[in-house]
Amino acid sequence: MPNLIFISFYIIIAALGVFLIAKVQKLKEKEKQIAALKSSLEEMDEQAKLIMRTDMELNKTQEELDKKISGLDILQKLSRDISTTLEEKQIFKKISSEYLEELGFEKSLAFLWNELKREFHPCLNLGYDDTEYEKIKTSVNNDKDYYLDLIQSGKTASSVFTPNDFLTKDRIYQLYQVRSFIICPILAQEGDQGFIFVGTQNIETCITEGEQELITILANQIGQTLDNARLFEKTWRSQQELEIKVEERTRQLTQALEEVGKISKRKSDFISSVSHELRTPLTSIKGYAAILLAGKLGAVPDEIKNRLEKINRHSDELVHMVNDLLDISRIESGKVNMNLEKLELNYIADKVADLLSEQLKTKNITFSSNIPDDCRNIMADRSQIERVFINLVGNALKFTPENGKISIGAHRSGRAIQIDVTDNGFGIPEDAQGKLFEEFFRVENAINQEVKGTGLGLALVKHIIEAHQGRIWVKSKLSEGSTFSFTLNAA
Amino acid sequence: MNISLGFSENKDHIQATNEAVGQAIIGLGKTRGDLAIIFTTIEFAHPLVLRIANNLLGGIPILGCSSLGIITNRGIFKHGFAIMLISLNPQIFLNLALVKDVNKKTPIAAGRELGEKLLYGCKDVRRILSLIFSDGLISDGTDLINGLQENLGRSFPLIGASASDNSAYVKTFQYFNKEVLTDSCCGMLFGGKINFGFGIKHGWKALGKIRYVTKSEGNIIKEINNQPAVKLYEDYFAKDALELAKELRRISIFYPIGIYLPGEKEYLLRNIISIKDDGSIVTQGDTPQDSPIRLMIGTKDSCLAAAVTSCEEAKRNLGAQKIKLVMVFDSASRFTLLGRHCSKELEVIKAVFGENIPIIGIYTYGEQAPLKSINYLGRAYFHNQSINVLAIGGQ
Repeated sequence: MPNLIFISFYIIIAALGVFLIAKVQKLKEKEKQIAALKSSLEEMDEQAKLIMRTDMELNKTQEELDKKISGLDILQKLSRDISTTLEEKQIFKKISSEYLEELGFEKSLAFLWNELKREFHPCLNLGYDDTEYEKIKTSVNNDKDYYLDLIQSGKTASSVFTPNDFLTKDRIYQLYQVRSFIICPILAQEGDQGFIFVGTQNIETCITEGEQELITILANQIGQTLDNARLFEKTWRSQQELEIKVEERTRQLTQALEEVGKISKRKSDFISSVSHELRTPLTSIKGYAAILLAGKLGAVPDEIKNRLEKINRHSDELVHMVNDLLDISRIESGKVNMNLEKLELNYIADKVADLLSEQLKTKNITFSSNIPDDCRNIMADRSQIERVFINLVGNALKFTPENGKISIGAHRSGRAIQIDVTDNGFGIPEDAQGKLFEEFFRVENAINQEVKGTGLGLALVKHIIEAHQGRIWVKSKLSEGSTFSFTLNAA
Repeated sequence: MNISLGFSENKDHIQATNEAVGQAIIGLGKTRGDLAIIFTTIEFAHPLVLRIANNLLGGIPILGCSSLGIITNRGIFKHGFAIMLISLNPQIFLNLALVKDVNKKTPIAAGRELGEKLLYGCKDVRRILSLIFSDGLISDGTDLINGLQENLGRSFPLIGASASDNSAYVKTFQYFNKEVLTDSCCGMLFGGKINFGFGIKHGWKALGKIRYVTKSEGNIIKEINNQPAVKLYEDYFAKDALELAKELRRISIFYPIGIYLPGEKEYLLRNIISIKDDGSIVTQGDTPQDSPIRLMIGTKDSCLAAAVTSCEEAKRNLGAQKIKLVMVFDSASRFTLLGRHCSKELEVIKAVFGENIPIIGIYTYGEQAPLKSINYLGRAYFHNQSINVLAIGGQ
């Protein structure tokens, strides 16, 4: 029995020993597991650190990107608004608090340097009351040299970076009452330059390079728009001055024209009255000369007869001249009504050739007329237009040497028909061509010295053509000939 | 109970006040308003604005605060004046109170004082809900709640918002009748029959291993795992304290400290306000000693998902009650984190409650609410980074 108890005791001890060994084994395994778990936890913690760091970088990048996207969007809208402004004062009014807030700021000021007054004058105030605004304005002008240096250097100052020779960040924070800021020069090429300030009290704002770039772009845009506005202002002023000058000159010219008109009328009136006064004695002279020549008052000796014939001939010329003068005067004053009717140009050309056939024959001049079908019919006063043709062809005849050529041509241009009277005569010097249609003007050449003329023919022609709403001009070359062209309305 | 809203973003303060108050009065029809809650951005924080509103409203009680933005059905506004005009049923009891000089008196003493004032004349009435608006820059928001709870009771639905400014963290404003105040807290206590549901969530997720606050004092965490508290951030971001200080706001928003609360799915978040020379970190609410903590990480998606959960919870708690109004106290940090996508949060709120439910809300520097809304039991906490949704219902 005691043996059995002893054996049982040993068995229990052995079992307990085995159990303890197993327990210790298990504990060791647990410890190992705990150590492994601890190690995993540490590793996971390290991974967590990595995740946090990466997440922060990603957040920063995302934030920067978001800022850039919205900033660019706002900048584009703002630039569009600003760039369409051509008035210097209006440029800064386009920068509204809404735009500014979208850019992440709630306070903004802009100053332009006035070289004459040697001070900065404000052009924008967003986010400051009158007292704060005045205080900043005074301070900016007290520290003007710092700001001028910044403008000169073209550098941007911000809460991230301020140039060494500029005001300290703390001073700017204190003065402008902000936590973050950007001060960027406005660099206009012409006129006053300045700077723009943007800032925020937002403690969460951290100025980035991207934001600095955006404000720099905005400042450049303002600078360019200022240039444009100033250029526009300059151009506009010049234009205004020019317009005033043109107006003044036009007024002077109108006055001169009125004066010329009055003189011309007086001249016409004078010619008209003189011509009338001349015609009566001329008629008497011519009448008496004719009576004497006819021998109604007794036989006239040959010498006297010869002189009387001269009187008669000169009287005729004088009558002719007086008639021309009267005609010009009447046409000028509108006293002559043009009886427009449908005429055939061929017929008129033939009639003129017929009238002058004797002279053409004498000088053996070839006359031709080439009137195309579409130019046949014109609207004109028959007698007046015949005078035009007679004058022009007569002149051509006068200045074309023997065996020469005279031609009448025509061509149509819309409602107008251009008629050309061409000769291959001596031609007209260039300097005389401009005065050719003036009254009493005669080209100085050998023929004119030989052949008598009044200098009224072409002036009369011009008046007749203009009374038909046409125009007349000449093209001529010495020794090659001349072409007198005029226009008339087609029938 | 009848509720109507008014909002104006007119830059002229007087016109904006007239417009918004006018809309709210018209919205109530023939019913007279009994209480006005006013939220504005800081440029409207002017006594004149309050005086005009008070005159237009016929001298009824006014409560409210400033914010960096106003949330309405129409959108999120960086400038504006919003008013909620409430006409109460005779069965509803209401008491309003104000405590000034919170920091001077200490937040806990100020909380006690406000609690006492709110309870005044309320002893025989069943207390239902307390709504408070406090200065978002008071030194310890948790202490203010602790003080309040000493008088109002710990297991009592206390919902609130810490006023914000324009993210400058310089001065926030509280409105009480005609007064515009700072360093104060105003609140109201509802008794009787009022139906409401709320939900509060943040959406930040824990990352890394658990650590313990081995030394802390109020809202200052001195040591974590027996090392200077800042070491946690130095390790995680491979930056020294100086570099961290430069990016403190960003780090605080994206990677706050999460306090583990037993039995809760979400951690209680703590924003970091500053780093002290001795390596201590100052948080926006307190972190009790021995608290297990983890570093948190937030994303836009998790943020929006939390907003949905919060809204659904508030809606669920109202049951079959018809929702009359939704009030949103949304953390300013979420506004920063969501950035230009902040309107998406409003979209998800509308998606849960319906397009036409009136919404009024603000961005806050702290939110107050119990963690659980079930049966409105549970202690109210001071939260950071959270969206606090209060749905008010009626027959």
